[in-house]
Amino acid sequence: MPTATQRTSVPVIVDEDKCIADKGCTVCIDVCPLDVLWINPATGKAHMRYDECWYCLPCEADCPTDAVKVEIPYLLR
Amino acid sequence: MNVSNIPVIDTDVLVIGGGTAGPMAAVTAKEQDPSLKVMLLEKANVKRSGAISMGMDGLNNAIVPGHSTPEQYVKEITIANDGIVHQPALMAYAQRSFPMIEKLDSWGVHFQKDETGDYDMKKVHHLGTYVLPMPEGHNVKKILYRRLRRNRVQIENRYQATRLLKDADGRIAGMIGVNTRTAEPIIIRAKAVIMATGAAGRIGLPTSGYLFGTYENPANNGDGHAMAYHVGADLANLECFQINPLLKDYNGPACAYVTGPLGGFTANSQGERFIDCDYWSGQMMLEFFKELEGGNGPVFLKLDHLAEETIQEIETVLHTNERPSRGRFHDGRETDYRQSMVEMHISEVGFCSGHSASGVWVDETGATTVPGLFGAGDMASVAHSYMLGAFVYGQICGESAAAFAKERDLPTLDEAFIAVELERIQAPLNVADGIPPSQMEYKVRRLVNDYLQPPKVTKKMEIGLQRILAVREDLPRLQATDPHELLRALEVHSIIDCAEMAARASLYRTESRWGLYHYRVDCPEQNDADWFCHTRLYKDENGNMAHGKRSVAPYIVELGEEKDAYQKLRVQKAANA
Amino acid sequence: MKRYDDPELQDIADKLTDPDPGIRRVAVLALVDSGEPEAAELLIQALKDEDSAVRQEAAKVVDEFDAEDIADSLLAALGDADEMVRNAAAHALADLKDPSVAPPLLAALERSDDPFVVAGILRALKPLRVAAAQTPALQRLSDEDARVRREAVGVLGWLKAEENLPALIDRAKCDVDPEVRRAAAGSLVYAARERVGPPLVTILGDPHWQVRCEAAVGIGKLDYQAGLESLIVASRDATWQVREKAAEAMGKLRVAAAVPALGECARDPMSNLRKAAIGALGAIAEPECRPFIELALDDPDPDVRKLARWAKSQLDNAA
Repeated sequence: MPTATQRTSVPVIVDEDKCIADKGCTVCIDVCPLDVLWINPATGKAHMRYDECWYCLPCEADCPTDAVKVEIPYLLR
Repeated sequence: MNVSNIPVIDTDVLVIGGGTAGPMAAVTAKEQDPSLKVMLLEKANVKRSGAISMGMDGLNNAIVPGHSTPEQYVKEITIANDGIVHQPALMAYAQRSFPMIEKLDSWGVHFQKDETGDYDMKKVHHLGTYVLPMPEGHNVKKILYRRLRRNRVQIENRYQATRLLKDADGRIAGMIGVNTRTAEPIIIRAKAVIMATGAAGRIGLPTSGYLFGTYENPANNGDGHAMAYHVGADLANLECFQINPLLKDYNGPACAYVTGPLGGFTANSQGERFIDCDYWSGQMMLEFFKELEGGNGPVFLKLDHLAEETIQEIETVLHTNERPSRGRFHDGRETDYRQSMVEMHISEVGFCSGHSASGVWVDETGATTVPGLFGAGDMASVAHSYMLGAFVYGQICGESAAAFAKERDLPTLDEAFIAVELERIQAPLNVADGIPPSQMEYKVRRLVNDYLQPPKVTKKMEIGLQRILAVREDLPRLQATDPHELLRALEVHSIIDCAEMAARASLYRTESRWGLYHYRVDCPEQNDADWFCHTRLYKDENGNMAHGKRSVAPYIVELGEEKDAYQKLRVQKAANA
Repeated sequence: MKRYDDPELQDIADKLTDPDPGIRRVAVLALVDSGEPEAAELLIQALKDEDSAVRQEAAKVVDEFDAEDIADSLLAALGDADEMVRNAAAHALADLKDPSVAPPLLAALERSDDPFVVAGILRALKPLRVAAAQTPALQRLSDEDARVRREAVGVLGWLKAEENLPALIDRAKCDVDPEVRRAAAGSLVYAARERVGPPLVTILGDPHWQVRCEAAVGIGKLDYQAGLESLIVASRDATWQVREKAAEAMGKLRVAAAVPALGECARDPMSNLRKAAIGALGAIAEPECRPFIELALDDPDPDVRKLARWAKSQLDNAA
């Protein structure tokens, strides 16, 4: 069965200027209960790789540099 | 992959699930005997996992001396559950409730106290007084994490347990699972296992259609319920669904227990109260459902009559605790508690003893029907446990499991079983051009909404079961393209198991009970002659889903006049009239 | 420099001396995951880091550690130039439940002038309930900063000592800050009703509604019968929340003389107040309550009806 790729607007936004993942920080990635945040290999910064968010906020609350912003997923807004 | 290539990790006590009950269980086992090896396995990260990742704003069922008694509590919960409870288990909770509050208080959990340092209990229910606010309850997980480290509990994050293991005598022997980031399997041999895997909160689909916008933390997808079933444990009263009131679309709790003591309430579109029922129960949810669907619907959280100071207090609590993104949800719609009521709705269905009464059967020692396997928190069958019940049963299971582990040697593992399971958990990675987990998940959860959501209709449930079984037939075509998708694919297995259990359990009990939770339109009456019992759901010797009845243990607290007083308060019209 | 047996901890220790403050900051985050008790030493080191972002990070995680291990450093951090560091230290100190940390806290209180720091120390002393905190807390009742006075009231309320009553009564009646007055009024309930009843009656006339509520609750809790007249007055307060608390308090006094006022409340447009009134009438359960209770059986609000059914059963049982 062939598959398609579908675009989706994700609720977690990482400010790459503030993110210090390149210094070894993995706080937001560690705390996400759904494991949707990963390091983007192209930039070395955190990003939302899977649109599976509970908008629970530990990633934002625990980020040491206030780089993470969680929006309410579009379907719920 | 060959079984002999995988290193086996040995431990005395294994705890699966690091949310609320799990950490307490692990710490307790260590407190019982620091020489025991205790391992805590978590699918996410213990620091921020489970239902209380951002804390909790209050206790709904605190039994504090001078405000209520264990006997009173047991009576009320028995009545709220239409009599189908295991009273010894409720009593064990009730008696340990206050010592647990004291313990958590000494650990640094913040409970609201008055200006002289006494617990600031709030009367929300009409008979007992059980609500203890926690406006600064956002640090609960940090405190648990601190205790885990201090007691040297071995923590393994990002491992999904997939099946429990038994020895030749039928006693628990450990588990098999998989790393959610590398897809590497893990085998743990344990003398005793405690399951604290949370609710099955990803069976139904939220009204938004967003798969992860569930009432429960979506990591709690019913893996524990499925594992318990496959290892041969009894599950109890699964037809008694969880359905909760919530903020519509946001799909998180409206927190009547936070706003109630401050004067807020659940209202209809006229701004008037409509709920007759006193205690949180299926009866209350039935009234809620009828108002939602009726001419005075929908339903709202009403706060606009409160003073500015009170609203600010409510906002501070609701927007910093438990589900703190509530604030930005309201901002996005320009909803202000001061000016307008907030639309409410009911949640998708699920299994969760924290709010309801179904789950893996456990007795007052936390024991399941499989020797050496214990269960605590939202996944175990003790009714209406909430967060404090998870802590208490975590503690009880920690004690029971430590004692069990000390009496036995390391078990022998069943390699043939492990080989089959290894194949199952690797299979989705080997499928080409298959079905993505999200599509299969959406499909089965949509079927649950269409066919199993109350009001339940026999014929619809029969069709639903057939459709769910048809999705099960598609499992060999389920494809994962990376370890993360494998995690989701294996969750789909559990979700299908839970959906099938929900359908079969609902068909088995041919009466209506627990208000909306098991409201069968074509069997509208409560039938005590045939159904004053727990229902069992288990895997029989042929591997089929089987049912049975378990009689209700003799009450240790008689209901007596209390029942009448309660009924006077509660039900003016027949439950399902 | 000290070496650690645990390789992970050693790795963190090394990173904490890295010239790059970003690396040091991330090392602080890793400390939290260490089960080694010595991690606390490294946290203390980080609390003294020259870079304020590293200190802030350390301060943010202090509540992940057992505070008794780091009490001295927390006290020092209360004087940090950075407000976030001071704030975190104050919160962590408040979690100290061990009476043995009282002496250093008291010593720090002695030498502190900064209102934020003083309030933080007082908040930490409160749950310890040590008698030695009494004198400094009494002194701080006249501090010019309201936050300090409020925390001083907290310390004295939790001590529940007879000799502190005059000072608390004075704050409850005369403080310029309503939150201080409210807290002080709430603290009075540990005393004998004859002693604090009269001042609570006075406070029931406070200009701020939340203070009046607190006074009404106190009169009810203490079952101060002589407060009835003032509660009747309060049951006609312009603010419904005060009327509600007054009605509940009259239910606690359980006297028939309250019934006419409660009857008025039972007709109030605000359903929360009707609930409180019917609840109180049920608690009193005298024959003269009956007409109001029976009327409430048909109240439009189901909570009021529910309570009316309960109240009626109380009446029937009493009869």
